[in-house]
Amino acid sequence: MTVPGQEAISVEALRVFTGQNVLLGPIDFHVREGGMLVIIGETGAGKSLAVQAILGTLHGSLRAEGRITVNGQRLDTLAPGARAALWGRKLATLPQEPWRSLDPLMRSRPQVHEAHRFVSCLPRRSAGIATDRTFGSLGLHGAERYLPGALSGGMAQRVAFAAATAAGAPILLADEPTKGLDTVRHAAVVSLLAQVPQAGGALVVITHDIAVARRLGGEALILKEGRMVERGPTRTVLVSPTTPYTKALLEADPACWQRTRPHRFDESVLMADSLGIARGGRVLIDDFSLRLHAGERVAITGPSGVGKTTLLDTLAGLLMPARGTIRRAARLAPTGMQKLYQDPPAAFPARVRLSCSLRDVARIHGVAWALVTDILSRLGVHPSLLDRRPGEVSGGELQRISIARALTVRPGILLADEPTSRLDPITQRDTMNLLANIANEERIAMVLVTHDNAIAEAWANRRIALNAPQVPAFPDSGSNPATDPIMSGRESA
Amino acid sequence: MSAHRARPQAKRPSLDGGRILGLTLLGLLTLAAVVGPDLVGQDPARQSLLEALQGPSGRHLLGTDHLGRDMAARLLSGAQLSLFLAGLSTVTAALPGTLLGIVAAWFGGWPDRLLTAFADAVLALPGLLLVLMLAAISPGSWWALYTGISLTLWVEYFRYTRQRARVVLAEPAVEASQLLGIGPWMIVRRHLMPEIGPGILTIAAFGAATAVTAVAALGFVSVGIRPPTAEWGVMMTELLPYWRESPFLILQPVACLFMTVLALHLSVGGGVRP
Repeated sequence: MTVPGQEAISVEALRVFTGQNVLLGPIDFHVREGGMLVIIGETGAGKSLAVQAILGTLHGSLRAEGRITVNGQRLDTLAPGARAALWGRKLATLPQEPWRSLDPLMRSRPQVHEAHRFVSCLPRRSAGIATDRTFGSLGLHGAERYLPGALSGGMAQRVAFAAATAAGAPILLADEPTKGLDTVRHAAVVSLLAQVPQAGGALVVITHDIAVARRLGGEALILKEGRMVERGPTRTVLVSPTTPYTKALLEADPACWQRTRPHRFDESVLMADSLGIARGGRVLIDDFSLRLHAGERVAITGPSGVGKTTLLDTLAGLLMPARGTIRRAARLAPTGMQKLYQDPPAAFPARVRLSCSLRDVARIHGVAWALVTDILSRLGVHPSLLDRRPGEVSGGELQRISIARALTVRPGILLADEPTSRLDPITQRDTMNLLANIANEERIAMVLVTHDNAIAEAWANRRIALNAPQVPAFPDSGSNPATDPIMSGRESA
Repeated sequence: MSAHRARPQAKRPSLDGGRILGLTLLGLLTLAAVVGPDLVGQDPARQSLLEALQGPSGRHLLGTDHLGRDMAARLLSGAQLSLFLAGLSTVTAALPGTLLGIVAAWFGGWPDRLLTAFADAVLALPGLLLVLMLAAISPGSWWALYTGISLTLWVEYFRYTRQRARVVLAEPAVEASQLLGIGPWMIVRRHLMPEIGPGILTIAAFGAATAVTAVAALGFVSVGIRPPTAEWGVMMTELLPYWRESPFLILQPVACLFMTVLALHLSVGGGVRP
């Protein structure tokens, strides 16, 4: 057992205000050396504000109050310049989406070297040696010469980690470190983070993903709408939650969803035959066949970059396949295939009120407005939301409005590209349940693209796993789905 | 609380003090140019050598120039000319510039390359040279000036629109609208115009200011509008020799030009916010 070390960071009654409104807090926590805290909360719960308040990087109109102590030193009373001097030396951060935090025009090695040289103030030679050691220990050999844009998400996250921890800051704050990573890379980043407390550092991880918390352990703090609702050892909190919100959050985990029973479907609405898809001269998908039935839910899974979205766009008729044919059922109207997007605000014209966008669709298709409001109320969208612009509505609600918009034109097929990956667990479950119900009631065939196997397993009638590209094979052709490196379409119960 | 990735949104131009001042000034100038000449009731071209270089009086509100012509009438008629030319050249530059920008962004491929190459070629040619060439074909005519100025100004609208439209048209929102059966016209209206409109207005205000200055500058160096037409630049040239005797006279067209350009620049509003 590790001996509990000194208190590394302690936060008392931390609150963040905009004007007179409290956005976050009060929250309290203490993390010892070798300790770990996971802050769990839905998107918009103010999780990132906590990190910014601790660092002192809050946006101009925001204000923080409360005691922040790092290694016995009060931070909140320090001048901004003195606080900045602690960055990288006492406090390090691993920001969201690392490829955005790295300098896009600088190769990986100099980014880490720079941190060794100027933050830990090593002489050039020692900094070089230290950099090489870091790259070796993080398994980044070969990545030194690449620009961040050429690195995979997991690699970029490790380079960012190497740069952030170069000066040996004992406290690491990680803000949604796994966002946008697929399952495999997810696990790698979590084990990377777990090394911090093992080395005697203190780790604060902010996430909306229960799986991350479950893997990391340590202490957990549950946030809801900026307020702390529960705190305690992660295992206890996740196994026997005491507050209704935490219970709801845990039940929303895809692993706990009700399994979908396989079903027999008869009427086919889309037939794709031996599709070959290439993009930028690279073969992404070879010999892909799919027969989609009315009311059926199909999930396409696979690591990022495998061509899931490209496949979806090809099925939607937005891209031409290099080979093969796609046939739609004759009863489908030209608008019979609709699509849901990953980032709901990006799926609406940004400066137009939602009511205006929906009215346009209704008018063009001669649908009575009463019918649209009826669909909206069935999906649980409050009519007052329609007076707002897309940026002013929460992601979950906007995704429901975009489902309503798609239903207005009575589609036969709904293609969903990671529709819930930016939503918090509870909203995610509600949205996916909603889609499942719509598929059943309206007999709409749905194709879900996701990197989350748990969702695919729980939600879909049928799963298709896309793996590494380039070897043409398909289960029907006699290859073994388990070992097939490219693609295995297997039916799951 | 909005709970997702912030999308870069250009700030809606708010009505700050400078903007109100600019718009008011612009409104007053336009009003003066439209109804002013009738109110003054003097012929801007009528000479009366006996009344030359007089100060302000009841009969001549702003005095008379070296040929005894009424200054107020001449300034107002100059304002008419300048604002008309500026307005006309702004509209005829903005419309094709914006439309071609949308066309280039929408179709991409060879139409885009062709239009961009053409715009670059126009940009490579100094605007002044173009105006001088046209002025040489038809000396002193207003349409040569107008054509030259429009031909120079449209490139800016084209480049701005093409750049913004490429970004907007690549958004999933446009794809979603297309899948929903929404036609190109509505996509331009709902997706594109709200995004590029404020920028176009800004370019238009600065472009109009450029046009006003260009007309005056060309008049001043006797390439543009010719005497006896009352034009601010021409008036400055004519009154320059008399600035010692009556500095008040030459100050008048200078002040008019200054105010017009100031009003146009202020009307854009905003400026750099912290």
